[in-house]
Amino acid sequence: MSGESIPHRKLPGDIFQIPIVWSYELLKYLRSWRLIASVAIVVAMLAMLYILPPALGMPYSGTDNQVYVQVQDFSALNITLPGLPTPYGIGAINKSVISAESLRVYLDGIEYPSAGGMNWTYIQVSFAEEVPSFMGGLPKANVLLFMQNISGRVVTATYDWSVSTEDFSSLFLSFASILIILAATFFAADAIVGEFQNRTGYLVFPTPLKRWVLFMGKFVASMTAGLLVIVLFYAGTAVLSYAAVGDVDDDFVLSFLFSVEFLWAATAVAYLISSILKGSTGATVLTFLMFMVILPIVDSVSMFAGVKIEASLTFAASVIGYVVIDPYPIDTHYDEYGISMYMFYPEPWMAALVCLAYAVLAMALSMVLFNRKQLTG
Amino acid sequence: MIEIQNLTKTFGPIRAVDDLTLKVPEGVTVGFLGPNGAGKTTTIKILTHLISATSGKAYLHGVDVLRSPKEAMSHVGAVVETPEFYPYLTPTETLAYLGRVRGMHTAEIKRKTDELLQMVKMEQWRSTRIGKFSKGMKQRLAIAQALIHEPDILILDEPTSGLDPRGMVEVRELIRSLKKQHYTIFMSSHLLLEVQEVCDSAALIDKGKLLVYDSIDNLKKLTKFAKIEVSVVGSAEDALLAKIRGMNNVRSVDRATGNVFIVTYEGPTDERADLLSGIQGLGVRISGFSPVGLPLEMMYMDLVKESR
Repeated sequence: MSGESIPHRKLPGDIFQIPIVWSYELLKYLRSWRLIASVAIVVAMLAMLYILPPALGMPYSGTDNQVYVQVQDFSALNITLPGLPTPYGIGAINKSVISAESLRVYLDGIEYPSAGGMNWTYIQVSFAEEVPSFMGGLPKANVLLFMQNISGRVVTATYDWSVSTEDFSSLFLSFASILIILAATFFAADAIVGEFQNRTGYLVFPTPLKRWVLFMGKFVASMTAGLLVIVLFYAGTAVLSYAAVGDVDDDFVLSFLFSVEFLWAATAVAYLISSILKGSTGATVLTFLMFMVILPIVDSVSMFAGVKIEASLTFAASVIGYVVIDPYPIDTHYDEYGISMYMFYPEPWMAALVCLAYAVLAMALSMVLFNRKQLTG
Repeated sequence: MIEIQNLTKTFGPIRAVDDLTLKVPEGVTVGFLGPNGAGKTTTIKILTHLISATSGKAYLHGVDVLRSPKEAMSHVGAVVETPEFYPYLTPTETLAYLGRVRGMHTAEIKRKTDELLQMVKMEQWRSTRIGKFSKGMKQRLAIAQALIHEPDILILDEPTSGLDPRGMVEVRELIRSLKKQHYTIFMSSHLLLEVQEVCDSAALIDKGKLLVYDSIDNLKKLTKFAKIEVSVVGSAEDALLAKIRGMNNVRSVDRATGNVFIVTYEGPTDERADLLSGIQGLGVRISGFSPVGLPLEMMYMDLVKESR
């Protein structure tokens, strides 16, 4: 008002405006069905993953009594074990983890003492080339080594067993990337295009907010909403892991950090799509298809063709489930039924680099596009 | 003060705004008139940083909108094309959001929110989410948000659009009260009566070019034509209307009803007296007459027709 010549108040700096935008953008998600739906999906996923295996006859722990152990002639295997005398026979117990203290071995139904390892001993052997257990592989084997000749005897064993923390975690965490894709679809895909299509740009663009400030406020809000979902999933997995197997895997936090990085990259890609397209529905559908169909097809074809495509974001994201496995699985190749199949695993450092590259490039590009986009409709 | 210098905006082959130059002095209310597609909204969108200009300059309070939009927008309150609001926020939250990004303090925001929501008669809806609001309610809230930071300049694009007649009257009264507070107001409108009643000056554009820009009083004087509705005793025969068409300065005669017709003529008020005498001279008894149409409307039609 010129008549009163009110002195102008000092505008907040750009950086200080970002939290203001963030706080009101976050309300969009906190008050929407999207967050409720995401939480419901997390709860349903955790419940299904926790309940289904025992319901289908695969509990997380238990005691096996007098289970038959097939013993093979060790000399026929033609291998040596470092630090151990060459045993006569070898048998395997197909369980994730067995309690060595509870292990009892029987010959023809009569307990066969270990005798300080002179009769038999128990070791765990790892196979890095094996596919992870949640994919049906056997990367770790519980092995009984027999030092005496017991050929012709019936060998049985009794033991307490449980699923290992890494098997438990990898089963659950292999689904984290699906949640992250849903979070990117729900909380980011229409963030930019919505301002134009829903005409809310007419409200916020004629304000002293630079476009990049608005972009960052919105982006951080989308990330925050996604993080709430991911944190809930990891917290739930940790609680269930303690309940089922008494601990969480030592790489659990590393998996979480990879999830956060993938969330950042997926959100950035969703923002890029949102900056390019003109309709919210198209942006939402394309974001979902990009991560659930298009990139997974690339990943599958790469395994079939034997070409490892490290640049695929969904391939890089598979590290989230694999990283808890020790030793980390290595690329393998199978020739079965005349067909060659390749199993590829992203190198953790490369996966981190790929996610970072997607995040930074997609953010930069979408910010430029948002800055140039005009409200002409 | 708003200053537009040689502003041009093209969309492919279309020149939506064509070398437009315009200055709105401080404390003045200027109406921005033009037919659909004339370039009014495009000009306003450039002024409010919604779109970029192809060439030219636009200053708000001496600050270049195109180069320093953040600073320029800090002086401005704008209502462009009935903005949509975030449906998950309430009016109170919306005003707080827009106040906070402008550096307003909590107490100041609360005071202005109370004042503005009362002014636009939205107090009872202050805590209701905007998703449930009608277009008229949103338009009133749009005006409130434009005033939250006590701007110097108000840019309003069709401010009464979407309002019912009562709402339109209320908004006009609101603009008049703002005018008394010496806001610099630049408003586009299709409603010539609105502009004539509310504005000090008006700028008329067509095809992106400025046709005329002057005070309302001067614009009225520019009007070449006037219309008068004449009622006669008995029936107005076709022969009579034909004779009137042949009179000096008469441009057209159109029958309204059996005994009522409208004469469009060229000239000042004296001409109307001569015209009525002339009609009576044809042996007709005039039972009533009244001027019809707004001077601004006549000028508008005249200038737009000429420009096409």
